[in-house]
Amino acid sequence: MNKSGGARILRINLSSGKVTEEEVDQDTRRKFIGGRGLGVKIVFDEVDPGVDPLSESNKIVFAVGPLTGTAAPSSGRYAVISKSPLTGTIFDANSGGFFGPMLKALGHDVIIEGRSGDPVYVWAHDGDVELRGASSVWGKDTHETTEKLLEETDRRAKVACIGPAGEKQVKLACVINDEHRAAGRGGLGAVMGSKNLKAIVVSGHKKTPVANESKFRETVKRCLMTLDKNPITKDSLKIFGTPSLVSLINETGIFPVRNFQRGYFEDADGICGEKYLERIFVKPYACFGCPIGCGRLTRANGEGGGGPEYETLWAFGAQCGVSKLEDIARANYLCNRLGLDTISTGSTIGCAMELSEKGYLTEGIEFGDSEKMVELVRKTGLREGFGKEIGEGSKRLAERYGHPEVAMQVKGLELPAYDPRGVQGHALAYATSNRGGCHLRAYMIGPEVLGVPAPLDRFRAGGKAKIVKLLQDVSAAVDTLILCRFTSFALNIEEYASLLSTATGIDYSAEEFRKVGERIWNLERLFNLRAGFGRKDDTLPPRFLKTPLKEGNSRGRVVELEKMLGEYYEARGWTEEGKPRAELLEELGIEGYAR
Amino acid sequence: MTSIMESIPKIERRTKEIKISPEELAKTIDHTKLSPYKPTGSMKKLCEEAKAYHFHSVCVNPCWTRFCANELKGTDVKVDTVVGFPLGQTTPEEKAFETKQAIGEGASEIDTVMNVAKFKDKDYDFVRDDVKAVVEAAGGKTVKVILETGYLTYEEISGACKIVKEAGADFVKNSTGFGPFGATIPHILLMREAVGGDFGVKAAGGINNFRDALRMIAAGANRIGTSAGVKIMDSYRWARHSDWLIEEIPCRLCPSRKASFTSMPKSVFQYYKMQCVNCPYREYNRFYE
Repeated sequence: MNKSGGARILRINLSSGKVTEEEVDQDTRRKFIGGRGLGVKIVFDEVDPGVDPLSESNKIVFAVGPLTGTAAPSSGRYAVISKSPLTGTIFDANSGGFFGPMLKALGHDVIIEGRSGDPVYVWAHDGDVELRGASSVWGKDTHETTEKLLEETDRRAKVACIGPAGEKQVKLACVINDEHRAAGRGGLGAVMGSKNLKAIVVSGHKKTPVANESKFRETVKRCLMTLDKNPITKDSLKIFGTPSLVSLINETGIFPVRNFQRGYFEDADGICGEKYLERIFVKPYACFGCPIGCGRLTRANGEGGGGPEYETLWAFGAQCGVSKLEDIARANYLCNRLGLDTISTGSTIGCAMELSEKGYLTEGIEFGDSEKMVELVRKTGLREGFGKEIGEGSKRLAERYGHPEVAMQVKGLELPAYDPRGVQGHALAYATSNRGGCHLRAYMIGPEVLGVPAPLDRFRAGGKAKIVKLLQDVSAAVDTLILCRFTSFALNIEEYASLLSTATGIDYSAEEFRKVGERIWNLERLFNLRAGFGRKDDTLPPRFLKTPLKEGNSRGRVVELEKMLGEYYEARGWTEEGKPRAELLEELGIEGYAR
Repeated sequence: MTSIMESIPKIERRTKEIKISPEELAKTIDHTKLSPYKPTGSMKKLCEEAKAYHFHSVCVNPCWTRFCANELKGTDVKVDTVVGFPLGQTTPEEKAFETKQAIGEGASEIDTVMNVAKFKDKDYDFVRDDVKAVVEAAGGKTVKVILETGYLTYEEISGACKIVKEAGADFVKNSTGFGPFGATIPHILLMREAVGGDFGVKAAGGINNFRDALRMIAAGANRIGTSAGVKIMDSYRWARHSDWLIEEIPCRLCPSRKASFTSMPKSVFQYYKMQCVNCPYREYNRFYE
């Protein structure tokens, strides 16, 4: 049993059952802030890059940031950081909802290490931390687990848990909180499962003070005004949610169809934002403290839940050649219950469909067969039959059948819902992402498609590297606060720095704030280099480099990656092999890590 | 007019050389709301934003002049009222009356619309007198004259600028925002060349981000009319952290690409489309992009 203090770390060793409390030193807070930054620092310091991610030696960190749970807009997030079983890279995923603010109200970040002999869950409340047996919920889905654990603990508590997929260490397993919010990517649910950790349940009552109350409120007011002025945060996301992107991205010719074989989905009208409102939408919802409120509660085939979001609409829609909105919703609900990442699950099923179409796979799985798709989701979550192979992710699946080129992934992480051939900067962001194929490390769709903060010619490769680097750095820095990435459609670096400074009482200029992100990025890179990654992995599937799209508004294009990659390494201050130079690490104050 | 097209990449490159602080940029902006349906709360918000960002003025329809003047009393933000807006087809007397009333209610600047129909008739005396009527009624306050360049050829734009200058106005402005084109590099450049360095050029219409604003300044504008002032200023904070001014292909910045058969006179539409025939950058003109 432990008493909670201020913003401290709870270290929970599942092997010994020992719980200790630690301070975070000021230098670390200043350099890495919280959230992703703090988690990456801890994993870098404490986890051997060569470790098996599903072994007892891996660790998993749950971290909040200085703005979590404050009046700052869209600040209801927490981050999960570990070494990923899917990619083998250092990995962070973050999630909205209400778990993050409750963890903040508890006053702790959490490090989980070791492995419990039997299934357990952590019950942390007002200074007390208990490890409780989880046999009553082992095997249960995330909804049942949440309900049962709230019954066993406190109705006011919040739950982050895994479903059967995490328990069975499926590499696509995620962490689910508030029943339908997910720290989705990278298989971090499997890391919890490997430790026999079913859930973390928290209930805290600590206020989240800020250093300079009046200046903080003033800054928040200004940020709210900016969010309320921006058409994306004020209108598009609020009214249509993320599904509003379907039509736009499809018309841009970068909506991947049938495992990225095409960039224009003829049946997009069946899954677009308007159809979504008409067919399955029930009402919107917002995460903690969010003025945007992009969340959608839906109902289909007698079942209800959160989402599907844009990425999921694509993963179980165009990616699998499916245009039945209700079936996409079913697959989405199933993923939430089983605890699966919808992007990687849908994308890997799409990969299996192409393998099958080309005759490389004897398992008959056809594009457009939504019944089989939903069934495969179930089997994947329960690790049954062919679902076992889907659960390994597209890279391992395609390699197993002798055609790695069919896997649409970077560093083992399935690519999301934007074909890189029509957005050169976004392609570079995919290739150089530290956690693999991800749209959130640097959302170049902002400038290249949405014109935010300024429009860039999406087909031009030259000159993009510096902007990709800037967005990567700033995104990493925002992930330390932690604010929802959607705020960056409206807010700029100076506003983030101002929120941070007034909340913590430590002055950060915009440039210092960006540098925090650059520091994190380089530390992640160092970890990955030691784990065996390098320039060879900063690439894209050959399809994007050699085969132009045949139709749609991005036809005739391929990614000019080599040209951009050289510019990128130079902009980063890395060697041609993609290694951070000693002087850069010194400038960032992490020279001690270059061992 | 090949040289006009060739100017687009030159101006695009010149954009990189513009050194302007956020405060200076804000002072070039007429923060604009010329909607037929935005209610009082919306106009109040416009004024609050203008105060917060220290814009040069708020640009509003006549019925909001008094309200905005009261909201902005004691600040450095001016009120800019439109006259003969948006078609410019009222009489010189009516425009003069509107002007006097706006000045009386607190306007410091007037944006009036040139009578394009009379200009097309080559009745240049009428056009000149029409502008003069407003200038005289303004009693020394700043008068900007909107040419609505989407109805004019390049040659006509240059001619119209000279008439406006002769009439004693202070600025030429390209667009109401309701016409066929917003602000384009060739139009603003031509306007600057026609009026010379000691006269105002206001660029308006479709200026939605700092890149657009910097382009217009590079082309010769010293005032920006936009309803996206807040977005421009917020996005400009990103500008200093990287090089965002990657060159755009010329066609995307060219009025010929934007010419629309449904919104402009047929002869003017054809005039702009014909520019593409001999344009040195015609290979970039791929419409699906």
